[in-house]
Parts: sequence; structure tokens; C-alpha cells
Amino acid sequence: MIFVYLLSGLFLGWSLGANDTGNIFGAAVETRMLKFKSAALIAAIFIALGAILEGSGPSGTLGKLGSVDALGGAFTVALAAAATITVIVRTGIPVSTSQTIVGAIIGWNYFSHRLTDFRSLLTIASSWVSAFLLAGLIAAGLYYIFRDRVNRSKVHLLEQDFYTRLGLIVIGAFGAYSLGANNIANVVGVFVPVTPFKDLNIGGLFVLSGVMQLYILGTLSIIIGIYTYSHKVMRTVGKDLFQLSPLTALIALLSEAIVLFMFSSRGLYNLLHSLHLPTIPLVPVSSSQVIVGAIVGIGLAKGGKNIRYNILGKISIAWVAAPVIAFFFSFVALFIIQNVFEQTVNMEMSYVFDRVTITEIERQGYDTKHFSMVNGRSFENEITLFNELKEQSSFNHEELLDIIRVTEVHTMIVDTEILQKKGMTGRFSAEQWKALDELDGRKYRHKWQLAEDLANFPCWQISVDKTNPIEKNRNHDINANLDTLYRSFYLPKKPK
Amino acid sequence: MPLILKTTRFIEAQLDTFLDIVSDSAMTFQLAMDDYLQGRLEQFEERLTQMRDNEHRADDLRVSIERFLYERTLIPENRGDVLAILENTDEVIDNMKDSLTQFSIEMPEIPSELNDLWMQTTKASVAAVEQLVYAVRSFFRDLAAVNNYIHKVYFFEHEADNIGEKLRRLIFSMDIELSHKSQLRFFAIHIEKISDYAQAVCDRLSIYTIKRQL
Repeated sequence: MIFVYLLSGLFLGWSLGANDTGNIFGAAVETRMLKFKSAALIAAIFIALGAILEGSGPSGTLGKLGSVDALGGAFTVALAAAATITVIVRTGIPVSTSQTIVGAIIGWNYFSHRLTDFRSLLTIASSWVSAFLLAGLIAAGLYYIFRDRVNRSKVHLLEQDFYTRLGLIVIGAFGAYSLGANNIANVVGVFVPVTPFKDLNIGGLFVLSGVMQLYILGTLSIIIGIYTYSHKVMRTVGKDLFQLSPLTALIALLSEAIVLFMFSSRGLYNLLHSLHLPTIPLVPVSSSQVIVGAIVGIGLAKGGKNIRYNILGKISIAWVAAPVIAFFFSFVALFIIQNVFEQTVNMEMSYVFDRVTITEIERQGYDTKHFSMVNGRSFENEITLFNELKEQSSFNHEELLDIIRVTEVHTMIVDTEILQKKGMTGRFSAEQWKALDELDGRKYRHKWQLAEDLANFPCWQISVDKTNPIEKNRNHDINANLDTLYRSFYLPKKPK
Repeated sequence: MPLILKTTRFIEAQLDTFLDIVSDSAMTFQLAMDDYLQGRLEQFEERLTQMRDNEHRADDLRVSIERFLYERTLIPENRGDVLAILENTDEVIDNMKDSLTQFSIEMPEIPSELNDLWMQTTKASVAAVEQLVYAVRSFFRDLAAVNNYIHKVYFFEHEADNIGEKLRRLIFSMDIELSHKSQLRFFAIHIEKISDYAQAVCDRLSIYTIKRQL
């Protein structure tokens, strides 16, 4: 069965390869600076390197995908996302893969009666506009700088061609590397704990672990996507929307790299903060929206006459449509998988209001006098609980989510061996490992109990100073690591 | 980096050599014309041989550059333009060579009163070709300067036309056979045409320059 499940991950990998590589190399291929075969080869090599060397790290999207707690559910969510991406890529329109996956996950949330974090929806909607506009502004700025420099420079046309080509290859390779590192987790991440592959001893030289084999398979699926289907997206990005020249293609690619870096680099964030300069918020942005924004920015800087607005219109509609389609695909597919194929698509959750949780809620500073109606009760459905609490108390949305988090039953057993098997050794500091070793074998019923025990060690302590960006970053890292522990140590109660 | 740029630098050198040949040919043409008018016919024939040799070398270089640009898919955006420039500039050399060959075949008798205007027309046409070489070199290295040289090409072409017209008027005002007049007119027009070819290359070059500007 696991192999069937794995197929949807590989399908997602294939669609990612077709869509995202088009964003990176489309401009270079369509301006004939790189042959399609060369671009595909560079992309394949660097995606593989990124996936294998850095792919064990999580992506923001994997974190969200990880909340899909049953393998059948993860299979269906990945299938819905991949199908949506394929449908849109068939029309040649570049689409945000992460946003499509999030759309599919929200479909799972609705199907499984889980609460949806509407802030991520807001982030998606705002990044449709902000990433696009910012990329356009940066590309237009770069265009004016390049125009001034190139028209005045005395570099030979052939040398200029050489440097442009080199730039397109280097930035493209870097983009492919990041694509591999960030997205391999989307493709096979959910299958890591249940990898069906056994360790392979290659000629007595080295051992290829089961997880590594899974990553290689995922990488292969992305590479097949590049070779078989990325050409259409490349054409839209490099030619159909606006006829790029090699230099403007380089400007577009450079703008894409800058915007993606600005919004994802915590190092830059810390540097700006330490220099007392205004910081850039760390928001996930889509490479599709950024590259299209950059091309439109260049087109407008050149007078705006040659932009094909009908294609831009189609792209914009597809961006909004992708998460919505993924939502419906996911919802319908989950229904079919659960009821026709009788597969488990979600785990049963429970929320209890007992002495332990009520005491913790009080400790967190919430007044529990409104909880008389729920006290001693247990809930199976997050949405029902949320609505009941909302009726009985005056807490706001965020406070209610905090309370629900305390009551969530999430049985875990600390087992550091699991983390080692999953190849997560590098994710934790030496002190954090020491702390985990000390708790090895302990059982917990709630997530906050594990977090509380770990907080006895300074390396796991969440800082109360939420205004200091450095501390905020550190808190973010600790919370991400805690999420990994919650998922890794989880002991599923009973399938639905 | 110099190692990676080896092919690029090699083609750059070939392009420079090609333009050097065009420039050399223009000067050779002027010297050959002077030799002819001064009656140094043996030296004139040597210049013609030199011109033929230049034409062959220019053709070989042009073909070699074309092959390199296509085989290595260099400057995909400007490849067609560069090849058109090279082909048209090559035609200027062909034209100068054809003109000298025609002199060698027909050996027209040029009355000495025409010498001054004949040389002035020649010099104006040769100056147009020399400015064309500067313009093409700038197209590759210094885009901002191209229009300046194109302007000069237009100036010398206009000059060649004006002096050429004076020359033809003088030819037809002379007391010689009509057939002789007709023959001299043919040669005078041939010399003027050299600057016309240079101008035609510049017409294209000015469009390519706009295209190359970011």
C-alpha cells in the first residue's frame, strides 16, 4: 500500500518539476541563451544536490502538510495538489505550488472538521499582491540600473553575452538548488517515517539509507517533470507574457532571486536589525508570482506597450483559482478515498477538560469560570468545541485557539532513536540533544507537557521578550523543533 | 576567467581582423586610384592583387565567424544582425575590388584635368568606409558612439555624391568622344557607389543599435 501512497508524492514531484523549473529557466531557454537540454540538465543536477545535501530540513509547507496526520490523508492531499498543478500547467500558466498544497490541506481541514488557521489564508492572499508588486519594483529598478550601465559600458558584445549567459546559469543553478532543498520535503517528506526501502550497501563503500533512497526517488520524479512537461511554462514565462531579451531575462531572474532571498533570509533580517535598519518581514512568497511580477516590472519600465495583458489576466485568475480548485479536489478525493477505498485519511482527535488541562489554562492566565459547561467533558471535534466555547465565553479567536491547544490530547513517547532514523540529527543543537536524552522514554499526553519539561533546559526555553527580533527568531526555531518532536514522538490512538 | 573566455576572445579577435581588412582595403583602394591617375600601372596591379587577397581573407573570416556564432549559439538575440552587418560590409570590399578590376580590364584614359575631382571623390568614399569601420567597431564595444560615426558616414556619402556630380558634369563638358564620356561616367559612378554601400550598412546599423540598447 505504501508504494501506492508514494505514487501521489511522486506525482506531486513531477508537477513541481514541470512548474517550478519553468519559473527558473524559462527566460534563459526562451531567449535561446540556454538550450532546453542544457537547462534541464543543470536543473536536474542542482535540484538533486539541493534535495540530497539539504533536503532533510523542513519547509514551511511541509510543516503544514505534516499536520495531515494520516498517511491516506497525506496521499490524497498530495494527489489533489499535484492534479491541480497539472491541470493549470497544461495551460502553460506558472502556479504557486505551495499555495496549491495549502489549498488542498484546507480541504483536508474541512473534511476532517479541523480548525483552519485563517492567518495563512491571509498570507496567501497578501502575497498574491505583495510579492508581485515588490518583484516588479525591484526588476524595474534593476532594469534602469542595467540600462544605464550597459549603454555606457565598453564591454564587447560577445563578452556581454558571455557574462549574461554565465549569470543566467549561476542564478538558475542556485534557484534549482533551493528548489530541491525546499521542495523535496513536500514530495516525499510525509513518507519518511514509513519508508519501505531498506538500507543498501553499495559495494562495501557506503550505505544508502532508506530515507536517502526515498529522496533520490523524489528527486527523480522532479527531474522527469522537468524533461517531460516544463517546456510550456518556460514559453509563457520567457516569451508569451513579454518578449524578453537575454539581458532582461537576467534582470528578471536576478529580481526573483533577490525577492525570494529578502523574504526568506533570517540572516539578512538579523543583520538589518543589528544595524538598526528597518527589517523585512519573513513571509513565504511564491516563485511563480515573483518571476511574473519581475517580467511585468521590466515590461512597464520599457513603456508597457508589449506586455500581453490577456495572458497576465489568465495568470492572475489561475493564481486565485489554484488553491480553490485544490481545496475542492482534495475534499472530493478525501471523500472517495475514505468511503470507496476505505482508507484512513485522518486520525481521531480528542480534547479534554480535566483537572490537568484546566489547571494549565488557569496557569496561562485565562479565567476558567466560563468552563463549567465543558468541565470534565471530552470532545472529538475541534470545530464543535470551538463553537461551544465561543458561545459560552468572551474569549477572542486567538485565545480560544490557545485554550484548545492546551486541551488537545496528543500522546507521545520521547524516543531519540526515531529522530536519528529520520536523519534529523543536524536539526538540534548538542545541548538540545542532551536534554532530549534525559527525557528519553517518558510519556506525555499533551504537547505543552513535553514543552514544559524541555523548558527546564535553557536551550529549549521560549523567551518572553517578544519584541526583540533576535529572540523572536530564536523562539521561531525552538517552536519549529518542538513541532518536529510532536510529530515524531506521536503515538496514534485509533484510526477513524 | 581568461580560459573560459578563450572562444569569446578568439571570435572578438576575428571580428577585429575582419574590420582591419575592410579598413586596409579602403586605404588600398585610395592608393591604387592615385597610382592609376599618376600612371604607375605596375604598382596599381600590385594593389589590385592585394585587394583580391583582402577580399578572400575577409570572406574566409566572415564564414568562420558565422560558423562559430551558430555552432556555439552565441549572441542569439543579435546573431542575425551581426551576420547582416558582416555580409554587407563584405560587399563594400567586393565593390572596391570590382571597381579596381574594371579599371585593370578597361584601362580607361582619364584626362589629367579630372585628376583632382577624381581623387576628391575617391577620398570622400574611402572616408565613408573608414567611418563605417569605426561605427561597426563601436557597435560591438561602445554603443553610445555608434551614432556619432554613422553621422560621419552620412556626411562623407553626401560629400562623395556632391563631388561625384561635379566630376560627371566636368566629364560631359569636356571635348572628348561621347563613348569616352560614357565610359568615364561609369567609373565615376562606381567610385561614388562605394560610399552608397557604406551608407546602406549604416542604415541597418542604426536600427540594430536601437535594438541592442536595453
